Amino acid sequence: MKMKKIAAVAAACVFALPVFAAAGCTTADETVVLRVSNWEEYIDLGEWGEDELIEFEDGTTIFGENSVIDDFTEWFNSQDYGFKVRVEYSTFGTNEDLYNQLNLGDVYDLVCPSDYMIMKLLDEDEDAILPFSEEFMDKSNPENYYINGVSKYIDGAEGSIFYEHGWNGIAACYMWGTTGLVYNPDRVDDEANDVSSWDMLTNTDYYKSVTIKDNVRDAYFTALSILYEDELNAINADDSMTEDDKAAARSELLNATDEETVAAAEDILKDIKENVYSFETDSGKTDMVTGKVIGNLQWSGDAVYILDQADEEDTELWYSVPQSNTNLWFDGWVMLKDGINGNRNRQIAAEAFVNFLSRPDIAVRNMYYIGYTSSIAAEEVFNYFDWCYGVVPEDEGEDLEIYVYDVSYFFGEDSYIYLDMSTLNVEGATRTYVYENVADYTVYEGGTIYKGRQAFGQYPTADVISRSVVMLDFGDDLANINQMWINVRCLDINDIPVTTVVIVAVIIVAAVAAILLYRFRYYIFYRKEPRTTASR
Amino acid sequence: MTKTLKLRFNRKQLCIPYAAFLILFVICPLLVIIYYAFTNGTGQFTFDNLVNFFSNTNTLGTLLNSIAIACVTTIVCLVIAYPVAYILARSKFRRKYVLLMLFVLPMWINFTLRITALKEILSFIEGNLAMYPFLNTVIGMTYDFLPFMILPLYTALSKLDKSLFEAAEDLGASSFTVFMRVVLPLSVPGIISGVTMVLLPSMTNYVVLDMLYNSTYIMGSLIGSYFAAYDWNNGSMISLILLIIIFIITLATNKFNDDQSSGRTVL
Repeated sequence: MKMKKIAAVAAACVFALPVFAAAGCTTADETVVLRVSNWEEYIDLGEWGEDELIEFEDGTTIFGENSVIDDFTEWFNSQDYGFKVRVEYSTFGTNEDLYNQLNLGDVYDLVCPSDYMIMKLLDEDEDAILPFSEEFMDKSNPENYYINGVSKYIDGAEGSIFYEHGWNGIAACYMWGTTGLVYNPDRVDDEANDVSSWDMLTNTDYYKSVTIKDNVRDAYFTALSILYEDELNAINADDSMTEDDKAAARSELLNATDEETVAAAEDILKDIKENVYSFETDSGKTDMVTGKVIGNLQWSGDAVYILDQADEEDTELWYSVPQSNTNLWFDGWVMLKDGINGNRNRQIAAEAFVNFLSRPDIAVRNMYYIGYTSSIAAEEVFNYFDWCYGVVPEDEGEDLEIYVYDVSYFFGEDSYIYLDMSTLNVEGATRTYVYENVADYTVYEGGTIYKGRQAFGQYPTADVISRSVVMLDFGDDLANINQMWINVRCLDINDIPVTTVVIVAVIIVAAVAAILLYRFRYYIFYRKEPRTTASR
Repeated sequence: MTKTLKLRFNRKQLCIPYAAFLILFVICPLLVIIYYAFTNGTGQFTFDNLVNFFSNTNTLGTLLNSIAIACVTTIVCLVIAYPVAYILARSKFRRKYVLLMLFVLPMWINFTLRITALKEILSFIEGNLAMYPFLNTVIGMTYDFLPFMILPLYTALSKLDKSLFEAAEDLGASSFTVFMRVVLPLSVPGIISGVTMVLLPSMTNYVVLDMLYNSTYIMGSLIGSYFAAYDWNNGSMISLILLIIIFIITLATNKFNDDQSSGRTVL
């Protein structure tokens, strides 16, 4: 008995020890656990093949040996922060999954939802998100890679998208892009018209050979784009309006959530449902590459990925941004107050993680690995863009048409790369000069581009951006729109053809009749009582 | 410390693990579902969810669609499985277990893998899968659930006493009469457990539907979509409605089964 008691006390001491240690806090060996939740397949996990080394002209090399998360832990722990960090990395499949997880009580310190989900979190609880600290936003520290590296177009400066929406300091943009249509030019009848409009999804020429995302927001946006196509084109063509007025008018149209608009969208989506091959969550990529479908509504990052995949299979696919408008979206890192919980060290670790992801070489690694476009506009990222798609002027022996692809809006003035003209579909380009010394080059610039290959998907032109709309949170109308979406996906009893009803009714009646006949067979056929079955 | 620990269990106590499992994973979730089904977003008692389901032609259509798919699948399964099970049970072929194994073999492989394979086969035959969503779904479900129909039928049929058939034949019954009046009635328990095992899961199985590009929801995916849109209340109500429908069907088949043999075949 006594032995037991001593053992129990000893055990209690052993178990209590780590508790005391944790309570002691400020020891140099303290380890902060950083709980990060990110999209699936949205970070470089390393293990690149040897042939995948990225080498720029100036000799800089970038290679992903280990995962970015391991690299971060190793880097952080080698620094003089006074504490160690361990990253608990988890992933989510959709914004709604993340939202459900948070509501069910999962605690994260740093998460990466999309624009509208950040709005939703803020709407529901102003204090849900912890703003980034002044140290993080301090441009004078060169190690603040995010604030120094992020494109002026996206965040930081006055007039940037994040500034306009009040997200600066709240969220740190990770990846961004547009939505558009991936298509197979060989199988499109009228490339000039068919793929230049969201109508492709309702176009019966492509009956059961286009796919759309199984996602209410993308579907709703597409429906509104089709519904208001004429209005949007009128706005685009209206010279009397200023750019700001145009943007406001577009945003008003495409963020409408009133009941009439939702009802109209429901009708269009039902047409789309009738016409599409499927509502896909992930199968759209393979279906596009294997040729099961001709067109596919896609996010720009995945579009780049699909185009790359198809190239490996010797299928040439293109990416088109419809002429009327597109959806501009962002995924941003936000720190959650519940997770950080006033722990200064944890906040430092979270901010260091965002800065680490924004370090130009890491940004390039992530872009290479996942295909999406980073918010970072550092020189290395631009060099990477050029390394991927730029034509090298030493190619001798063939006539080349070159296009000066301008991405100054993103990377700052005079940022352009030379692209092979055959990878773009340019309307109204002007010929600037002919290069005759090395080989026969003709160089073009200007004009408008609606369709292109990977480069166009990675960084759209300023013109495409000017026609883009950020889709806001649905707010209180969310329930209505969700119900509309469910209605679209259901089978309306009024839409069931009469023949089907008759067939089903006949089957049911027959089945019931058979059962009843069998049950009462003794009375009907033999006119005598059944022998007692209990004897068996 | 010479005395060994004495484990004294009576038979009732052996049920404790199962009872704990039942309470934790069946009863409690059910209570939660009932709670959510009769409350609204703010936690107040309401019948709105029930009204929502029965006043929306879309959800009603989905219910009908699910029932149609389930019925057709069950009938197709039964039509295919009965002769197979009958022949297998009656055959004197010494390696019939190998044959039976062949029918059950697909069950050993995860069904999403099987459907992925089926998808390729079907698109090879049909060209564009999306043209025949209903047909594809029925084929996919039949492929999935056929073993569940064959096994109970086989068990029921192989258990039948051969002397009964011989007696019937001795009394002058033709082989058709033997089948109709002896074999079929005696195999009804097998049919019923087969039908139950196919009909009920095929009403809610939406993976097949998703993978074969049928963009129209059935009950399973409808419930899923409500939960995905964080509308737990409507989702729970539809789950509850489905549960009640399944309960009624089970009750009806059991009632029907009561006047048959007491030894219901167990898979």
